[in-house]
Amino acid sequence: MFLLQLRNELRKLFGKKRTYLGFGMFLLAQSAFILVLKYGRGPNQSMMRMMQGNGYAAAHFFSNLTVATTTLLATAYVLLPLYVSLVGGDLVAKEAEDGTLRMILSRPISRLRILLIKWLAGVVFSLILILAFAVFGACFSRLFFPEGGLFVSIPWDGVFGVFEGVEGWQRYAAAHLVLTLKACTIMSLAFMFSCFDIKPAAATIVAISLVFISKIMQDTPYFHDMQGWFFTYHMNVWVYFFAAPIPWWKVGESLSILAGFNLTFFLIGSTAFQIRDFKS
Amino acid sequence: MISLRNVRKNFGGQRAVEDLDLQVPAGEIFGLLGHNGAGKSTAIGMMLGQVWPTAGEIRICGHDIISQRQAALRKVGAIFETPVFYDYLSGWRNLEILSHYSAPTSRHRIGEVVEWVGLTGREHSRVRTYSHGMRTRLALAQALLPQPELLILDEPGDGLDPEGIHEMRLTILRLHREMGLTILLSSHLLNEVQQLCTRIAVMKKGRKVFDGPLSAINKSQSWIRLRVNDFPSAVELLRRERLITDEREGSLIAVAPGSGTEHVVRCLVAQGISVYEIAPQEQTLEDSYLDLMKFDGPAPSGKQQLQPSVLATEH
Repeated sequence: MFLLQLRNELRKLFGKKRTYLGFGMFLLAQSAFILVLKYGRGPNQSMMRMMQGNGYAAAHFFSNLTVATTTLLATAYVLLPLYVSLVGGDLVAKEAEDGTLRMILSRPISRLRILLIKWLAGVVFSLILILAFAVFGACFSRLFFPEGGLFVSIPWDGVFGVFEGVEGWQRYAAAHLVLTLKACTIMSLAFMFSCFDIKPAAATIVAISLVFISKIMQDTPYFHDMQGWFFTYHMNVWVYFFAAPIPWWKVGESLSILAGFNLTFFLIGSTAFQIRDFKS
Repeated sequence: MISLRNVRKNFGGQRAVEDLDLQVPAGEIFGLLGHNGAGKSTAIGMMLGQVWPTAGEIRICGHDIISQRQAALRKVGAIFETPVFYDYLSGWRNLEILSHYSAPTSRHRIGEVVEWVGLTGREHSRVRTYSHGMRTRLALAQALLPQPELLILDEPGDGLDPEGIHEMRLTILRLHREMGLTILLSSHLLNEVQQLCTRIAVMKKGRKVFDGPLSAINKSQSWIRLRVNDFPSAVELLRRERLITDEREGSLIAVAPGSGTEHVVRCLVAQGISVYEIAPQEQTLEDSYLDLMKFDGPAPSGKQQLQPSVLATEH
C-alpha cells in the first residue's frame, strides 16, 4: 500500500513538465561547459597548464572523466540548489494552492503518511536528477574527450586528487552518490517551508535564499572558525571523495550532521503541516 | 452518521463556528444552508478532519474524527465546490491516485464507477481537456470509489449550467435511491435543497439558526395575505386589538397566537374596512431562509417552530 502510494506520488511528480526543467537546464549547462572546454582556447589551455604545472601529462589526464568532474563541480554549486528547491517547494504548497490536497485529506490517511510519501518522492527525484547528471556528464564528455585518468583540483576546499582508470570512476560514482545527500538536504529545506501556509514560489525562494546566505557566511573570512555551524559547509562533503586519501572522519561527521538536518527539516515541516487547517 | 456536539472553531480571534450541534441520521439527504462566510465550509472541513475544531466533539460513522481519523473516513466520499484534479494526468490516473489513498482499488472497480458516472470513453483523456460537467462527474467518481456510506457534497452545483444542475440533482437522487447513501449537501441553491433534502440546518455567522425537517421551516412562518381598502389603518387597528404580531410588504400579516382569520375579518368589517381577500401565504424555502437570515436569536429546531413574533422582535 505504501509503495503503491509512493508510486502514485512519483507519477504525479514526473507527470508535470516543470519537473523536467531541472533535467533540461542541467543537461544544457553540462553540454555548454563541455563544449567550451573542448573548443574554448583559453579554458582548454588553462586546464592543460594546471595539469602540466603539477607534473601530470595533460594528454592523459585531460580526459572525459576529468571534464565530467569539472563540469559537476561548476554546476552543482548553483544549479543543483535551484532545481531541487523548486521541486521541494512545490511538493506540498502547490497541491495546497491548487486544492488537490483537500481531496487527499478527505481520505482515510494520516497527515504524517502523506508527508512521508511526498518527502520520499522528493528523495527519489533528487537521486534520479543526480544519476542523470552523472550519466549524461560521462557520456557527453566522452564524445569530445578521450578516456584517461582523473585530475581534480579544488584549492578552496583543500582537495587535490589524481586517479587512474577504475579508481577514478569509483570516485566519480561515490561523489555523485553523496551529492544526492546535498540535493536531499536542500529539497528537505524547501519541503519544510512548503508545509507552511505559503505559496510554492515563496517556499522555493526562502529555501534557496537560506542556502545562499549560509554559503556566503561560510565563505566570509571572518566566519572561518565557525564553518562547521553552516549546513552548506557539510553539504560540500561530496568533494572529499576526490581527495587522496579520503578524510573519512570529516565525511562521517558531515554525513551525520546532514542526516540530522534532514530529519529536523522533516519534523518541523510535519509539525507545521499537522497543526494547519485546510480550507478552500 | 454525522454527529457534532458543541463544536466551536476560532481562526485567531475570529469565531467561525459557534457551539454547533448537528445530527445527520443514516439514509437521509441533509441540507446545510447559509450564505458565504456562514461557517458551512468550516463545519464540513472539521467533519473531514481538514480543519481542527477548537472545542467540541465530531463523530463520523460512529468514530471520532480526531482520534480515529482513518476509521471515521473509511466509508466517506467528498466533493468540493470547484472540482480540482491533476490536470496533466488522465481521469483514470487521477482516480487511481486518489482511490489508493483509501485502499488498493482494482481496475474493475474503477471501470465500474467510470461507467456509473458516464465518463466511459473519456477516462483516458487528460483532465485539462474535460468540461466543467465532466470534472464534476470525475469528482463524483473519486468520491464513490471507496464505496462510501456517507457522501459530503460541498456546493456541488457551483459553476454548473442549469442542465448540469439538473443532472447533478438527478444523480444525487439516484445515489440515494440505488446505493442508500447518506448525503450531506451544502448549497446556496435553495431550489436544489428544497427538491432534494428532507432535513436542513441553516447557519448564519457561524451559528445554527434552524435545524429540522424541511416541512417545519415552511410551516414555521404563518403569514396571512390580506387585501383591504386601507392596509395601514387595518394594521393599526389589528395591532391595537392585539390580533396580529407583525406585518410586512404592505399585504402580509402575522396573526397572534390564539387569534384566527375570522377574528381579523370580524374586527375589520366592524370598523368599516373592506376586506377583498384573506388567505394563507404560501411560504417558499427562500422566504423562510431570508427570514432566518434576518433573525439573530438562538437556534430553533424543527420541533420548536419559529413564530413570526419571534422574528418580529429581532428585525
